[in-house]
Amino acid sequence: MMTEERFLTLVGAYGADPQRWPLGERAAATAFLDANPELVAACLEAEAALDAVLAAHLTRDPSAAFRGRLVGAAPRQRAVGRTWRWLAGAGLGLGLAASCAAGVAAGFTLAPASVSRLFEPATGQSSSLADPVGDVSAS
Amino acid sequence: MAYGSDAWTRLALTSGAGRDAVDPDDELVRRAGAGDAAAVQALVAAKLRRVLALAERMLGDASEAEDVAQETFFRVWRHAARWRPGGARFDTWLHRVTLNLCYDRLRRRRERPVAEPPETPDPGPAPDRGLHAMDTGRRVQAALQALPPRQREAIVLCHYQELGNIEAAALMGVSVEALESLLSRGRRALKSALADLARPD
Repeated sequence: MMTEERFLTLVGAYGADPQRWPLGERAAATAFLDANPELVAACLEAEAALDAVLAAHLTRDPSAAFRGRLVGAAPRQRAVGRTWRWLAGAGLGLGLAASCAAGVAAGFTLAPASVSRLFEPATGQSSSLADPVGDVSAS
Repeated sequence: MAYGSDAWTRLALTSGAGRDAVDPDDELVRRAGAGDAAAVQALVAAKLRRVLALAERMLGDASEAEDVAQETFFRVWRHAARWRPGGARFDTWLHRVTLNLCYDRLRRRRERPVAEPPETPDPGPAPDRGLHAMDTGRRVQAALQALPPRQREAIVLCHYQELGNIEAAALMGVSVEALESLLSRGRRALKSALADLARPD
């Protein structure tokens, strides 16, 4: 419940504008004011006069140049990230291309032997390809 | 309260202090940390004016405030990639970093007193702002600077930055009652300093 003492404390701290009063007490304070207008009139007027004077203190808008300096000082991590991602992608691409090339080269190297093996008669003897130095047949 | 910015930064990056709902800034900070140029632009557009206003009202010097705002954003860029949703609200963390830098400068001023007080900021020409309002603004600035720093901090956070009392108290490391005491004493001092201007009709 709002008391006269608490109301005067509120106005003395936050001023005469109900919008500045603490949210949790605003409704009770406004109701108290509506019910006791004469009781608090002098106090409210004095605080409202101070509020009006305080409102005359304005500050400058920041200049466009100052805004620009601050914006220019912000990190540009995304641009750096894009560069790294591009480099990583390019590296992966090169790696894949190299792997493919190696695969093709190996294919060309092995192809004649593999193909000839397909046409060997099934004699049970090791082919020169399977036992290149003859160790298996010697044992 | 200690103002070790690095320690607080680590705490804020990992704790849930001051978090009671999803932080609307989380996604923006995460994208900025990943180097998203649009998010960087949006974060500067959303927060720079707020950081600059906080520093200017704490220091009473537009040039120093710009230095503080710059250093604050440099720290944002350093930490954004590590920002974890679920910790402190980004706006609260941003306020703490800015305040720490302001207190560093206020401390240096005390250690090396200057011959002249910092220049009162010139709000610059504006067609909708008359000479009277400019004079009043300068008077308010001077009155704010004459307050003890903690009272000034409480008033700047609650009145100008429009933080809630619980968030402001947590940011300052005090109870809500202590915050209200700082606010009340600060407003009384301002009323006294600006009595000729702050007269009820």
